[in-house]
Order: sequence, then structure tokens, then C-alpha cells
Amino acid sequence: MKKSVRYGLSGALAGLTNGAFGAGGGMVLIPLFRRFCKMEEKTAFATSVSVILPMSAVSALIYLLRSDVDFLTALPFLIGGTLGGFVGGKLFKNIPTLWLKRIFALFLLYGGVRSLFF
Amino acid sequence: MKSVLDGIVGALTGILSGFGVGGGTLLVLYLTLFTKTAQRTAQGINLLYFLPTAGAALVGHIKNRMVEKSAFWWAGGCGVLTTAVSAILIGKLPTEFLRRGFGVFLIVIGITELCSKKSVEANREMGYNEKNKKRRR
Repeated sequence: MKKSVRYGLSGALAGLTNGAFGAGGGMVLIPLFRRFCKMEEKTAFATSVSVILPMSAVSALIYLLRSDVDFLTALPFLIGGTLGGFVGGKLFKNIPTLWLKRIFALFLLYGGVRSLFF
Repeated sequence: MKSVLDGIVGALTGILSGFGVGGGTLLVLYLTLFTKTAQRTAQGINLLYFLPTAGAALVGHIKNRMVEKSAFWWAGGCGVLTTAVSAILIGKLPTEFLRRGFGVFLIVIGITELCSKKSVEANREMGYNEKNKKRRR
């Protein structure tokens, strides 16, 4: 299969997740870039951010037009998130990522069970 | 006071986003489980939150030439189309259905993340190798 087709399919799947759940596009796209497209890991992380950004812009526009969210409610998160993202990028290499990922995974399972059953 | 707390939560999840461990997903969880925000509103807030956070990170990635251009065009082009379709379609779904669908998605991703030891270690090792290369220069 051509590489461009693999990229297209990966992006299409991540797009479905991004539009439906408003999150998680990267968690779908990075493994697909790595295993299905055989992309080097760091490139996969960076490229996924570049791909998810326009997807999120389109989804956010649709959510705004449908009045699911208003900009002022989101503003504190935008300001905090920009600062936090900058700090996170700086600290990345000094953090034990494996344990962070495991704690994160347990949070996801907790959140998943609560969202599903409660 | 609520805005300050929201900003702090945004900063904490933003740090996790910077680490690449899905801060956005945690933000949606915080909004739906702890502040009882409607699922679609929480998703919308997260989408808006991601724009400046990712934009700031991308500046560095492009500068370091870490973005693969053909992947960006093909995956981005197809992804923008499917994201528009799914974002429009979920507008017709009941919030309860969406919340449960999100729950299933989280459980699947959670199990996958718990089993992804290899890729994380490879990533860290790559980081150390690059550091060593720089030192040798």
C-alpha cells in the first residue's frame, strides 16, 4: 500500500475520533503513524500535533456554530493551557514518562468506567 | 474564583499535553465528572484549549524540522474531512449516548496505554541518544 494512502487512512481515523469525542485524536494517530506508517517516534509525535491542529480548528468551529460552547467559558483553560504546554515541553526529558503514562492510563480507566456506568 | 481554578486546571493539563500524555482527555474528564459540564460543552472547551497549546508546541517542531510534510498534507487533508463529518453527526446524538461512547473509548485507550511500555522506552532512549550526539559534537 502506498505511503500516502496509509497517511490518509490514519488521518481519517484520527479525524473521526477528534470530531466525535473532541479529544484523543493524537492517541489514535501516533500509534498508527508508528506501526502502520513506520514513522520514527519523535517525528510521529511532532507530525501528529501538526495534523490534529487543523482538525481541532474545524471541529471547534462546528461546536461554536452549534453553540455547544462559548469562547469566554473556555478562555481560562486556553490561558492556563498555553502556559502549561510551554512548561511541559521544557520539562519533558526530565520526567519519568513510563510511570506518568501508567498513572494516566489508570485515570483513563477510572474515567471510562464512571462515564460508562455512573 | 472559578476562573482562577479553571486556569490552574488548564495549566496542569497543559503540562501533561506538553509531555504528550493526553492532557486534553483529562480536561474533558475533569469537566464532565467534577464540574458536571455537559459532554458536548466539555469537548468544545477542549478543542478550543488545544489550539493555542498545540500552536505553541508546533513552532518548535517546525523549527527543528520534525514535521513530515507529506504526512501532514495527506493525514491532515483526510482528517479534516472526517472530523467535520463526525463533529456534525454527533450534534444529532443524545448527550448520554455520547458520554457512554467516550467511556468505552477511554477504557480501550487506557488498556492500550498500560501495554505500551516498549514505545515509551524507545522514545526516551532516542532522547538520550540525541543528547549524547550533541555532547560529542
